[in-house]
Amino acid sequence: MKLVQFGENTCARIRRYMDSYINNELLVETNHEVLRHLETCPACAAEVESRTRLKIRLKRAVQNQTVPEDLQARVHAALRQESHSSFAWTRWASAAAAVLMVAAGLWFELPRWTRPALPDLADRRGQDAFIQKVSTSLSAVLKVGLGDHIHCAIFRKYPKNPPSVDEMAQKLGPSYQELVPLVKARVPEGYRIILAHQCGFQGRRFVHLTLTNGSSLLSLVITRRQPGESMQALPISDHAAGVPVYQAAAQNYDVAGFETDQFLAYVVSDLGARQNLQIAYALAPAVHQFLAAVRG
Amino acid sequence: MKRQQFEDAALPHLNDLYRTATRLLADSTKADDVVQDVFLQAWKSFDRFEVGTNCRAWLYKILFHVVHHHRRKWFNVRMVKESEEILEQVAASPEPLAENLTDAEILSALDRVPQDFRAVVLLVDVDEFSYKEASGILGVPIGTVMSRLSRGRKLLREQLEQTAQSYGIGKGKLEGRTA
Repeated sequence: MKLVQFGENTCARIRRYMDSYINNELLVETNHEVLRHLETCPACAAEVESRTRLKIRLKRAVQNQTVPEDLQARVHAALRQESHSSFAWTRWASAAAAVLMVAAGLWFELPRWTRPALPDLADRRGQDAFIQKVSTSLSAVLKVGLGDHIHCAIFRKYPKNPPSVDEMAQKLGPSYQELVPLVKARVPEGYRIILAHQCGFQGRRFVHLTLTNGSSLLSLVITRRQPGESMQALPISDHAAGVPVYQAAAQNYDVAGFETDQFLAYVVSDLGARQNLQIAYALAPAVHQFLAAVRG
Repeated sequence: MKRQQFEDAALPHLNDLYRTATRLLADSTKADDVVQDVFLQAWKSFDRFEVGTNCRAWLYKILFHVVHHHRRKWFNVRMVKESEEILEQVAASPEPLAENLTDAEILSALDRVPQDFRAVVLLVDVDEFSYKEASGILGVPIGTVMSRLSRGRKLLREQLEQTAQSYGIGKGKLEGRTA
């Protein structure tokens, strides 16, 4: 048996082992040596106790950090998106490359009328035709959201300096004004709300919030469900905290939709499928809960 | 099917990865981006993951790889050298410190510990990895893990003492504070 030496040198040596002792990483013999020393040295025993308490306290502090509620849903969405991209890529890589080259050539070579150019702001018929053309590939229930986004967010002229968030909230009226802070708190950093109002398009009323990140526009569009309207027949992109979200692409726009008993809600942008869906996941649970509570 | 296997194995570790990333970067928004990247990279290389081996340690290894990549992009910092320089300034082990502090005070003190040391403290003290696992995750020898842990804990205690001093209170008074 190894003889344990007491005194200052022993304390210094034991303290060198202390971190490994706390982590149970010492060999059995060394562990016993430390234990025997601690039984007879109150100073070292107090040091071990203090370090152990700090370790436990640190772990608790880190584990008490809040994890965003929608993080799992967003990771889920990103994985789903990645899976689809990988699948498409491996299956269609060479064909897609050829098509892309041809398409790129056509885009620049063919006359301008072959691609949907933005009509003049004063040309209401042209705007309607543009919306119809862009949304051809969408189901009727998703066209509703894209239509109002283009009609309102793309064609509308914004004031250079948007009103304050409070003013915009006031403009939305008492039933919907809480949507403004709710959305503001959930969109990624760098996005700001530039418009929040109620508007009309093709005979429907909409609650419409428009945001920008400086280069793209994104809308949250909400409207009351009409008889027979439902997203349930569409393929679900995924669930955001239990709320099914349905996304589809229409030319360079992506439309993510979700619904409550009374409302249809859409997140529409040209940010790309992944980013649009991520923002929809971030908004869907809270907006869904908010709309479920709207009465009247 | 394969994605389901991946999610079953990897997603249970999401929250722990996020919390560790938040403290490594001292920034929850960046941690959010990093964690999403970790899962995408893990998914892309899932074919190379051996089922039955330590998925958690594998994910943490990817986490540190991604954090390293992002830090170079965001901050362009010299991590190790700076850490070692600060390390040299560390005095002898301080007296045992009272720990009756708030979570925010502890996390703030942790954030001030240089990243190399903070990383080991997080892996070993918070995520409960063994020295061997931490060595594999960080790609450094076990001896380095041990020395960084010891120094990291020492630096953390010093930072907490400074926090206590900034309140103008001694250790005795600190004992009596409520968290």
